[in-house]
Amino acid sequence: MELSDWQLVEKCQAGDADAFQELVSRYHQKVYMVILGLMRNREDALEVAQETFLRAYRKIKSFQGGSSFYTWIYRIAVNNAIDAQRKQKRNPLDFHESMDGLFEARNEVAKDPFSDVHDRELRENMVKAINELTPEHKAVIVLRTVEGMSYKDIGETLGCSEGTVMSRLHYARKKLQEKLRAFL
Amino acid sequence: MSQCETVQQSIGPWLDGELKVTDGEMVRRHVEGCPECGAEHRRLEKIHATFADILSKESSQIEFAPFWREVRRRIDETQPWYQGLIEWARSISTSPRSAWAVPAAIVLVLGFLSLTKWPVGGQVNNYASVESIDTHGRNVALLREDETKTTIIWLYQDSEGENENVDETTNSGPAF
Repeated sequence: MELSDWQLVEKCQAGDADAFQELVSRYHQKVYMVILGLMRNREDALEVAQETFLRAYRKIKSFQGGSSFYTWIYRIAVNNAIDAQRKQKRNPLDFHESMDGLFEARNEVAKDPFSDVHDRELRENMVKAINELTPEHKAVIVLRTVEGMSYKDIGETLGCSEGTVMSRLHYARKKLQEKLRAFL
Repeated sequence: MSQCETVQQSIGPWLDGELKVTDGEMVRRHVEGCPECGAEHRRLEKIHATFADILSKESSQIEFAPFWREVRRRIDETQPWYQGLIEWARSISTSPRSAWAVPAAIVLVLGFLSLTKWPVGGQVNNYASVESIDTHGRNVALLREDETKTTIIWLYQDSEGENENVDETTNSGPAF
């Protein structure tokens, strides 16, 4: 029978490294998705995702289960990504600047060339539009998109109220619509 | 505020399943009958679906094994030296690895004790023996005396050593 996240956390707290490996296996892709949504490129996102799990491993003994494991790990991920972006602004040479190829459609055979070009343009412009949002607005839209999290869970993850989540989401969507109107 | 403006502010929460059932039903009915709000609804859905697709395709490229190897390497680098020992001890004490560990430990302890004569309860433990090392009468004698902390190893040749039936009392063995 598959153990719940909390049962795995308890095993980790007792020093079971295999249990931590199982948690990483469950969440590594989603954590990477959240961070990639907040950052500019794959290499930096991968680096921050790995750092997120290292930080989680160090802190797991202090995790009391007051929230679910996934809101806890996403909180670490979002904070790490925002910290990394601040560092990126201070020391731009330490990070990968290129966004070439990011989010391009991979290995897909175009059925309709026009639709393929249109889709590609939408994707490219969406990446730009998302990157123009503030970190707080990016975070709500990414968490909602990746995990389909409720406003309550997003609020827990980001340390704000449900009302704030709702207004940030509304603003972020409005901005995206304005910037992508020509491609929607 | 017109009804369209009110509904357009609620389309996001409605898509997210955050509205009460009655409010959600009101938004659904309006969206179905209003071209402008219907278009807003489709745009929001398209944004959500495209962004989800972009992220999901990207993350599917991340393989677990190399990802975990790197996380594990970072953990090992940052943890104190004794943590490795604790993990090793924990790993051998958990079933089924303990199946061999317990008998192995017993054998090691017994082996160690068999090599050492421990004085028990402060008793003096002297020891003497004579062993024949070949068929030509060569012998080795060992004497150990605890009180003086003396150990003597004596190699000698017994002139009658070839005769194994000789009475031991007549042997010209070592005299300590």
